[in-house]
Amino acid sequence: MTSTTKAATVESPLVPVHTTGWRDGLGNLVRKELGQWWATRLWWVQTLIWVVLLNGVATVIMLQAEMPTEELVTEAVQTFLLMGAMTIGIGVVLTIQGAVVGEKESGTAAWVMSKPASRASFVLAKLIANSVGFLATALLIPSLIFVVQAQLMLPVSLDYGRFALAVGIAALSVLFYVVLTIAFGCMFKGRGPVAGLGIGLVLVGQFFKGMLPLPLVMATPWLLGDVATSFALASPPEFNRMVPIIVTAAAAIALVCVAIWRFHGEEF
Amino acid sequence: MVDLHRPRGSAVQTKVVQNQSQPVAPAATVAESVIHTVGLTKTYGSVNALQGIDLTVPHNSIVGFLGPNGSGKTTAIKLLLGLSRPTAGKATLFGMDSVQDSLAIRSRVGYLAQDPRFYTHLTARETLAFTARFFYRGPAEAIRARIDETLELVGLEDKADRPTKGFSGGERQRLGIAQAQINHPDLLILDEPAAALDPVGRRDVLDVMERLRAYTTIFYSTHILDDVERVSDYVAILDHGRMVASSATADLLDGDSTTYELTIRGDEQAAVRALRSHPWVSDITTASQNGSPALTITVTDEQAAESELLRSVIATDDVVVTAFGRRHFNLEDVFLQLVKEHGE
Repeated sequence: MTSTTKAATVESPLVPVHTTGWRDGLGNLVRKELGQWWATRLWWVQTLIWVVLLNGVATVIMLQAEMPTEELVTEAVQTFLLMGAMTIGIGVVLTIQGAVVGEKESGTAAWVMSKPASRASFVLAKLIANSVGFLATALLIPSLIFVVQAQLMLPVSLDYGRFALAVGIAALSVLFYVVLTIAFGCMFKGRGPVAGLGIGLVLVGQFFKGMLPLPLVMATPWLLGDVATSFALASPPEFNRMVPIIVTAAAAIALVCVAIWRFHGEEF
Repeated sequence: MVDLHRPRGSAVQTKVVQNQSQPVAPAATVAESVIHTVGLTKTYGSVNALQGIDLTVPHNSIVGFLGPNGSGKTTAIKLLLGLSRPTAGKATLFGMDSVQDSLAIRSRVGYLAQDPRFYTHLTARETLAFTARFFYRGPAEAIRARIDETLELVGLEDKADRPTKGFSGGERQRLGIAQAQINHPDLLILDEPAAALDPVGRRDVLDVMERLRAYTTIFYSTHILDDVERVSDYVAILDHGRMVASSATADLLDGDSTTYELTIRGDEQAAVRALRSHPWVSDITTASQNGSPALTITVTDEQAAESELLRSVIATDDVVVTAFGRRHFNLEDVFLQLVKEHGE
């Protein structure tokens, strides 16, 4: 180790960052979190998984030459969106279950919180970066590939506007599960409850939504896949499609607040 | 300073401030202090991790925070940093409240955790850049220069571009010290900075602390007593969540003016008789040191002892004095004695 002095940096062009309250450290933390996606292999591993899974299944359906054209389009779009809504939810929970809990366990959260970074920034950075990561790798890229697939393999072309709207609604579902997993991470000490509750919520919705009263199911994100499909195919809705959208968006906002509140009370 | 009081009492106890009286530094000192705590308390359920500690740390000092494992040192540090909240009492850093003004405080502090952990996908250089961005912005070259300077400070230049995933405990510790001072903080809080280091690494860390003393205040916890003796201006000793002593290191270790140590060759009994002839000699204990008689003499009249004690022994036939001086404590004696007393 060798010597250093403050005197040597008195003329430094470096400018101190002034505290801004709840946003302190946000940009830096978002940059770091995005780096965890895009500067590691995570982005291409995720992309590979979702392309193989979602576009692979869509390819299998589109290759069924004996199926009537209209049915083929319906089946391909429906499978892509419904399967995407469910599997991406599970993928989100599995991938980021340790995003907060892992940092609490390893001590990196305490380290970051010893710097001038607000607790809200810590939580928001995780939400922003993981949302961007999943929306891009699990939804946007497979959706673009699906469009190309449809163009090449289906006898009729898709209504791209409607399909884009449907992907937007599926994005809300992805956002919801990102928020839910991060919020669980702020609430619990271990990965078990985070993963268990998160995956349980996705699976219960997919397997039991048909058995539950429609008004109850409408107040959940479980119908977002169906809503997206109905928009994409311009099929008549069996329920008010705005209700699941509004409820999910409101729940996601509420969960963000809960996550920040819980993390604010965290002691390291 | 850490609550300087004049010693009173006997033996080891005379060397330190007993904090049960909750001493608070004088107002002028508090105003100039970097850290000031009053009755700082933390409980976890039924466990009293910290029981009303009072502490004042002045600018540009190095303060060693001593205590056995589980004594509450890390808890106290986390309270100072706002990583947890006090159950009672208050801590101020730079005159700001540790809870309300935590962000402003942290912008002036560098912190090294006891077992520093970093994002394993980042290299040492990226870790320092990430840390630096919390504190300042500016041209990339200037930031790079600051990082290079810091890497050089801790001897990690050759590992700068390796992911921290493969770092050893000692390398993580060095990186921890680097990130703690990348912002040239007004206050460095180091939790066991040398614990994971080999002797050479330990020496290097102490050297760095010595060099930084001119620019910053250093508050560090440790259980390596030699380190405290070497670099600390002040010492605070914590045990079972209580501050059992705090003092300037020099005061703590200074010779006791009422106890002398004498090593002789020759007739031990003749020396004892000569010493007992003085009415101000209140106690003599004898022991053997490397085969030679070693006497510990307690006196009631310091001035008389200063002028006559050695002379009277030298004048004794068949006695040769090989060593003489005021009793000098080492920190280990003080620490163990205090912890033992407190435990009782």
